[in-house]
Amino acid sequence: MDLIQTIFWSFVALIPVTLAQSLILAFVVLGIMIPFRTLNFPDLTSEGAFPLGGCVCGVLLAAGASPLTAIAIAIIAGFLAGCCTAFIHLRFRIHTLLAGILMMTMLYSINLRIMGKSNLSVFGAPTVFDWAPFVQPGFPASKIIIAGVIGAVVFILLNMFFKTEKGTAIRAVGANPDMAEAQGINVWVATIGGVGLASAFSATGGALMVQSQGFADVNMGLGILINGLAALMIGEAIVGKQTVLRQLAAPFVGAVVYYQLVSFCLAAGMPPPDLKLATGLFVLAMLALPSLKRSRGPAPARETVRE
Amino acid sequence: MLEIRSARKVFYKGQPDEKVALDGLDLKLNTGEFGVVIGSNGAGKSSMLNAISGALVLDSGQIVINGDDVTEMPVHKRAMRLARVFQDPMKGTAASMTVAENMLLAELRSKKRSLRQGLNARRLADYRERLALLGLGLENRLDTRVELLSGGQRQSLSLIMAVGGEPELLLLDEHTAALDPRTADIVMQATVRAVDALKLTTLMVTHNMQHAVDFGHSVIMLDAGKLRLEITGDEKAKVTVPDLIGHFAVKTDRMLLAS
Repeated sequence: MDLIQTIFWSFVALIPVTLAQSLILAFVVLGIMIPFRTLNFPDLTSEGAFPLGGCVCGVLLAAGASPLTAIAIAIIAGFLAGCCTAFIHLRFRIHTLLAGILMMTMLYSINLRIMGKSNLSVFGAPTVFDWAPFVQPGFPASKIIIAGVIGAVVFILLNMFFKTEKGTAIRAVGANPDMAEAQGINVWVATIGGVGLASAFSATGGALMVQSQGFADVNMGLGILINGLAALMIGEAIVGKQTVLRQLAAPFVGAVVYYQLVSFCLAAGMPPPDLKLATGLFVLAMLALPSLKRSRGPAPARETVRE
Repeated sequence: MLEIRSARKVFYKGQPDEKVALDGLDLKLNTGEFGVVIGSNGAGKSSMLNAISGALVLDSGQIVINGDDVTEMPVHKRAMRLARVFQDPMKGTAASMTVAENMLLAELRSKKRSLRQGLNARRLADYRERLALLGLGLENRLDTRVELLSGGQRQSLSLIMAVGGEPELLLLDEHTAALDPRTADIVMQATVRAVDALKLTTLMVTHNMQHAVDFGHSVIMLDAGKLRLEITGDEKAKVTVPDLIGHFAVKTDRMLLAS
C-alpha cells in the first residue's frame, strides 16, 4: 500500500513538468503526423530537424538574439531541411524512408557545424517563457501557458488551412497522387511545401525545448521519432482520424497522454534504459493491430505509403 | 479541337523486347465531336490517351488542343483543359476524402486555388444538384468518404467530376469496363446525356462494340500504333456490330500470317 502511494505521489509531483514537456514535443508529433497522414509520406526528417531547430536556436540565443528571432530562424532552417527531403524523394525517386534517413544523417553533421561543439548552454538567456502572464518565469506553469497557447494557435490555423481550397488540394496529394495531378494539382509543390511545413514544426519543438531546458545538445533528437510516433498512435486511438479536426487533435492529445504514461512508468520503477524497447514494442503493436484483426473478419484498408 | 500529329512512342528502345506503342499516329477530332476508339489489346489506345493527358511523354510528334501545342506541358497543367475518367474506379477519386471534397477538387481543376474555405453552402447545394442527376442517391452522401461507395457509385462520381468544369476535352478510358451491366448502363447513359448537353469534345476508348455502334459521331480503330480505320457521318450511322468485328478478324488473320 505504501509503495503504491509513493509511486502515485511521485507521479503526481511530476505532472506539471511532464505536461510542459509534452506540449513542447507536441510540435514534433505534429511534424511527424502531417507528412505521414495528410501526404502519405512517412518522413524521418524530424529526428534531424528537431535538433536542428534546437541548435540554431541555441547558437542565436548565445549570440544575444531575441528568443522570438531565434525561433523564427529555427523554423526557416527546419522548413528548408524538410524541403530537401521531399526534393530528394521526388527528383531522384528515392524511397521516402531512405530520403529521410539520408537527410537526418547529414543534418547531424550540419547541427555539429552550426554549434561548433556537441552541446551549448544558454542558461540565463531570455526565453519566450519569460513572457507568460501571471506566473513566475522558470516554473512549469509558464511553459505550459506559452507552449499551450502557441499550440492552440497552430492547431486552429492548420484546421482552417486544411479546409481551404489549397489545403484540400494538399490532402488530395496524400490521398491519391495520380488523381491529384489529373485534377491540376502540382504534386511537387504540394509535397515539398507540406514536408517542409512539417519539419518547420519539428524545428519549432526543438527551439522551444532548448529555451525550456537551457541548453542545446546535438544528440537531443535521439529517439524523438519513435516517441513521436508512439504519441501519434495513442492520440489517434483516443480521438480518431476520420476528420481533419480529429487528425489534427491527435498529435496534441497523444503527446500529452504519452508523456504522462512514460512519466508514470518511470515513477513506477521502470529502468530508463528499457524505455525505448517498451516504446518500440508499443508502436509495433499499434501498427500490427490491423493485420492481426484481418485474420478475423473482412480485410481492413492496408497501410499504404508513397515509395 | 484535338489534333495528334505523327505521334511516336517506343518502349524499351534498343532492347530485345522493344515495343512500338505509337507509330506515327495522326488523329483529328473536331470541336464537339464524340469519337469512339476501338482496337485490340496492344493497339496503342491507352498509350494514345496517356500521351494526350501528359502521363506519357512522346518520343516525337505533337499534341494540339484547340490550336495550342501542349506536347511539353506536364499533367497538372494540361488538366486545365482536359478531364479523364479511368477504367479503374479507384484511380479517379481520392478514397479517403468525402464525396463533396472530391467534387471540390474537380471544380478547382481549371481554376486557381485560393486560401478561402473550400466547401461552402453554395458549392454543396450545387454538388447536391449535379449528383442528383445520376439517380444513385449520392446527393445525400456528400459527407461519406469515397472508399465506402461501390465501384459503380465511384465511377459515376468520377464522371460527374470530369464533366463538371466543361473541359475542352473529355477522355474516357474504358470507363464502364469494370462495372456490372446494369451500373455500366447507368454510367453510359449519364455519359451520353452530359456529352450531348454540354457538347463536349470526347474521346472514348471501349471494347464494347455495341457501345461503339450506339454512341458517338465517329469510330476510330487503332492498330499497331497507327490509325487503321475511321468511320464517320452516314457510314457511322449505318455501321453494325458484325461490321466492326469484321475489321478485327482481318487484323487477326494478318497477325497470324505475320507471326
